[in-house]
Amino acid sequence: MHLHKYEKIWLTFGIGSLVVFLFVVGYGAFWQGTHPQSHGVTIDPNNIESNEAFKPENLGLTKVDENEYIVNITASAFYYDLGKDEEGKSVRTIRIPKGSKVLWQAATKDVVHGFQVAGTNVNMMVEPGYVSSLETVMDNPGTYTIVCNEYCGIGHHMMYATVEVYE
Amino acid sequence: MRIQEDKKASEKDKPDLKGTFVSVMLLGVFIIITWVGAFALFISR
Repeated sequence: MHLHKYEKIWLTFGIGSLVVFLFVVGYGAFWQGTHPQSHGVTIDPNNIESNEAFKPENLGLTKVDENEYIVNITASAFYYDLGKDEEGKSVRTIRIPKGSKVLWQAATKDVVHGFQVAGTNVNMMVEPGYVSSLETVMDNPGTYTIVCNEYCGIGHHMMYATVEVYE
Repeated sequence: MRIQEDKKASEKDKPDLKGTFVSVMLLGVFIIITWVGAFALFISR
């Protein structure tokens, strides 16, 4: 087969880039734990409280270890349930020290919702019947807004909460 | 004589791929820059 000199160059360049990209993606997936947010963990959408993580008393921020936290969130139209504080008020702001490893776990009671901590890599779909989870290290201090980025109905734009990462 | 003429003709028919080469490389560089940009954003956040 005859190939033009230039064709050989751009084929090498193309295949080479492909190999590099696949290696980066593969390294992320197999060694760094990058994966889709819902990896087939199911939950009864009509009774998400049957799952330990989504019992009302386990919602919101829980410290599991030094610099290690779990945040459980129940999403429903048009509200993120982050549990209650000591005074029995609904938590609207979560405060996390900088550099903490955080496991975010979310489930929905009704329709498909989004869960995005805007400005970070925490961005998941929350689908009925599945538990969405994602682990990140909150390295950058600041105030972030949790927003629903899947249109879920008339009050979609009212669905938000706040995360504060402090030094 | 006849063979030589054929050779000349085939050299003339050889496609000029210089423009194609430049545009393919520009496209490749564009794809790499956008990919690296998105990846850097992912890593830094």
